[in-house]
Amino acid sequence: MIIVKDLHKTFENNHVLRGIHYHVHQGEKIVVVGPSGSGKSTFLRCLNLLETPTRGEIWFDGQLITDPKTSINKVREHMGMVFQNFNLFNNLTIMENITLAPTKLKIMSKEEASENALQLLQRVGLAEKADAYPGQLSGGQKQRIAIVRSLAMNPRVMLFDEPTSALDPEMVGEVLDVMKGLAESGMTMVVVTHEMGFAREVGTKVLFMDEGIIMEENEPAEFFNHPKCERLQEFLSKVL
Amino acid sequence: MTEWFAKVEKLFTAAFITKDRWKLYFEGLGVTLEIAFFAAILGMIIGTVIALMKLSTTRNGKKTVLTVIANIYIDIIRGTPSVLQLLIMWFVIMKNSKNGVLIAVLSFGINSGAYVAEIVRAGILAVDNGQMEAGRSLGLSKAQTMCYIVLPQAVKNVLPPIGNEFIVLLKETAIVGYVSLTDLTRTANQISSRTYDAFMPLIGAAVIYFVVIKILTILLAQLERGLRKGDNR
Ligand SMILES: Nc1ncnc2c1ncn2[C@@H]1O[C@H](COP(=O)(O)OP(=O)(O)O)[C@@H](O)[C@H]1O
Ligand SMILES: [Mg+2]
Repeated sequence: MIIVKDLHKTFENNHVLRGIHYHVHQGEKIVVVGPSGSGKSTFLRCLNLLETPTRGEIWFDGQLITDPKTSINKVREHMGMVFQNFNLFNNLTIMENITLAPTKLKIMSKEEASENALQLLQRVGLAEKADAYPGQLSGGQKQRIAIVRSLAMNPRVMLFDEPTSALDPEMVGEVLDVMKGLAESGMTMVVVTHEMGFAREVGTKVLFMDEGIIMEENEPAEFFNHPKCERLQEFLSKVL
Repeated sequence: MTEWFAKVEKLFTAAFITKDRWKLYFEGLGVTLEIAFFAAILGMIIGTVIALMKLSTTRNGKKTVLTVIANIYIDIIRGTPSVLQLLIMWFVIMKNSKNGVLIAVLSFGINSGAYVAEIVRAGILAVDNGQMEAGRSLGLSKAQTMCYIVLPQAVKNVLPPIGNEFIVLLKETAIVGYVSLTDLTRTANQISSRTYDAFMPLIGAAVIYFVVIKILTILLAQLERGLRKGDNR
């Protein structure tokens, strides 16, 4: 579904991604872990072209999206993204946050979009917040809304960049629960996280990123019980 | 003492009462406000467009030719006196037009646009970049995200400095006397040369400017508070 070939990204003189090769299949839940500054966010942001790769190819559903002629906006309609800082639209109500993109992009009528939004809100237990503004919600609620906002576009894949890292500990669970539900529903997911429990439980594959490459990749049990490279052993000994 | 009062009364009468001269001040004020109002609107439009031009980037984050044009415009306007801009507009660019107010509005609007552009640009940059990224990640275009998300939030940031710019603009229109438009300042000047007293007409005009600007300041403060209150976000 997503094929990444020899992906490089350089910021000024900082060579952040140094040749990433990866293939995400439909329905997989890829969890990406690694020390901070290793390029996890940059990798994720290259997938939906929030960062323009310096070199390499990214294919999505058979389309070469790194080709400058590709319509980026069309591609992004099918790739949801959830950010560490939620990034809900502060000037809009929750309902407007969710319905803005589907209606402005003429994917749904206003009525359809509202109905769809209400159903999604019910799914995450926040239907009563439809008319609230983001500033009136807790971090956990905001992140659940951010997930719903992405889902409202019916994406083919969801990208998560440390979705629980900005949350107070007591709110991490509610967001992870929503993500688990989403995983069970069959969504293809790429998740950058420090939640090793989530990686073990939900991941189909776990990737270890360091120094701008994927240093190790394995099924969760193997990944955590028998890490091969030294850097990963060191990393796991710190976080587990 | 009574002598002094009598003298003041005489000057006052000459400056404001005789021949209904007080009406002239208000006619002058009308011209001042007309120019300032339309120039402010023009300045807002130009300023927003120039700000967006200045912030435009190519797909891989490089400057565009629009940015360069915007920078040249801002440089020229800020690097030359506004009186000179007005004279050039009057005697060179629009020399065949007889509509003095229109010429003044264009000149002040174009001038104000450069300053508003910097204000709007700063206001847009103050909106968290995550807002733009979230919009783009949903498939919205840059223009759509700008229009529905970023600009509405930037309005709150720019309101105080824009209000300030309006007040500067209103006072700056006093230079239209240079091209023989009869605004409030020129009216006062004309009356003083007729009554051989500079004090009363000039102080009178100053008081009128002061009161108008005070009212404007209060209104702007209220608007700002209103925006902030609807903003428990
Ligand atoms: N927009 C940017 N401009 C310049 N440098 C950046 C930018 N984004 C990330 N970097 C740099 O890239 C490196 C990797 O960052 P990031 O992908 O955020 O790592 P991670 O998410 O693994 O913590 C860091 O050194 C960071 O400073
Ligand atoms: Mg990161």
